Amino acid sequence: MSSEVPVINFENVDFSYDGSEELVLENINLIVEKGEFACVVGPNGGGKTTLLRLILGLNKPLRGKISLFGQSPEQVRHRIGYVPQFSKFDSNFPVSVLDVVLMGCLSKSFWWGSFSKKQTQDAIEALETVGLKNFVHKSFADLSGGQKQRALIARAIMSQPELLLLDEPTASVDIHGTEQFYKMFAEMNKKFTILIVSHDIGFVSSKVKSVICVRKNLQIHPVSELTGESLQKMYGLDVHLIRHDHRCSEKGHSCPHL
Amino acid sequence: MSTFIKDLIELPFLQNAILAGVLCSIGSGIVGTYVVLRRITYIAAAISHCVLGGLGAAKYLSVVYGWTWLKPVHGAVVTALLSALLIGWVSLKAKEREDSIISALWAVGMSMGVLFIYKTPGYNEDLMNYLFGNILMVSTEELYIIAILDIITIALTCVFYKQTVAVCFDEEYARTRGVNVEFYYLLMLCMTALTVVLTVNVVGIIMVIALLTLPVAISSKMFNRVWKIMLGATVLGIFFTSTGLMISYEPNLPSGAVTIVVAGIFYFITLLISLFKKRKIA
Repeated sequence: MSSEVPVINFENVDFSYDGSEELVLENINLIVEKGEFACVVGPNGGGKTTLLRLILGLNKPLRGKISLFGQSPEQVRHRIGYVPQFSKFDSNFPVSVLDVVLMGCLSKSFWWGSFSKKQTQDAIEALETVGLKNFVHKSFADLSGGQKQRALIARAIMSQPELLLLDEPTASVDIHGTEQFYKMFAEMNKKFTILIVSHDIGFVSSKVKSVICVRKNLQIHPVSELTGESLQKMYGLDVHLIRHDHRCSEKGHSCPHL
Repeated sequence: MSTFIKDLIELPFLQNAILAGVLCSIGSGIVGTYVVLRRITYIAAAISHCVLGGLGAAKYLSVVYGWTWLKPVHGAVVTALLSALLIGWVSLKAKEREDSIISALWAVGMSMGVLFIYKTPGYNEDLMNYLFGNILMVSTEELYIIAILDIITIALTCVFYKQTVAVCFDEEYARTRGVNVEFYYLLMLCMTALTVVLTVNVVGIIMVIALLTLPVAISSKMFNRVWKIMLGATVLGIFFTSTGLMISYEPNLPSGAVTIVVAGIFYFITLLISLFKKRKIA
């Protein structure tokens, strides 16, 4: 397994915006192997999104080295499927769901004319994968929040990436929807390496394989080791760890998932 | 109304005026859609005001130095493109305070124009024409220039449609797909600059922004695909400029202003209708 080049490799990476000495990320060392399903958690402003932007090559590290598949981030962008938060878009933008998904293969398409039949077919298949088969020709603006997020996931997977990066994919989805999303991600994990950014830690744990905690510096935990103490260390204050899968009743305690 | 139609058949300058309205609406319908979707109306307004500097300078040089081959429209094209590239460069490089720099260019460009026009000897009706437009003064030569600019705009849009829409929708994602976002941003600004130049004839510098945005705003309430909005805005633009000309002709009103008032009325009507619809659903 480890003989392969890691998908993501950070070596002693420092980062600050505009070259100031106030570091957003400090001495980050991170290796994500092929087939991993990792979740980046941490407080708001802790550097989670910055970490994603560094992986995508949208920002450059102040010090240290970042390599993806053994190459620089810019060289391998086409092997990454990136899913941003849908909330940052103009919600009335006049495009169809299919148009949005087809944006996923812009780099491979010729610079004029329409998309090929094969590309359209790939896009429709990607929409089937995320459960939006019946929405192909609908307006993107008419979709619900969760559906928009699914369409953006379809856009990311249609180019058959090797690494899927998701920024807060469940930010505006209810608990039931979140569970469905993670089931879908677990299914996709058979094909792609997945890295998710989330602040929704309790829920994530049941499906992901490892948790990466970011608050300026970084710690990696296997899921089972994630304790109240490590969370407290990360957030820097006393937090309660809430188990959503734990039910208290007169007959005693039960954990349906365990 | 009947006088207008009778004169339209007889008088070439009136035919030119209608044709100018049609040609300008093609450019402003397409480019206006980019301007609205990419939210660069403020930049488009700045470019249009800068154009006065170019118009004034060209006029001054042709009168004072006898450069008769230099037409105001040449000055306008050069200034519009230069200011578009300058503003584009500023907004790509300096992420903060971009609007103060744009405002400065807006005001300085306009002041230069006023000074040039002031120092140009002879009658200076030009200033009013530049500011508020005079569609009845459009010459056949200018019509050719407008047509060429239209063809350039249509060609660029056909060739780069997918990329420009993707950049407007989600710039960051487009960048991760290997799309040269900066190039398309500057391309959109240059197309805006050329459209501004051709629209100045019809409604003048001050109201260019209205002709760029109002038809698109109405059209985007009716259609939900980018290319449909472009077509819809073009048809609406043709309707507004022709109606404006028709209404203003007999009472001898400024046609640019009438055109914008007509467009404004339609815009507020569609706004009311969409509000009403929303309430009905809710």
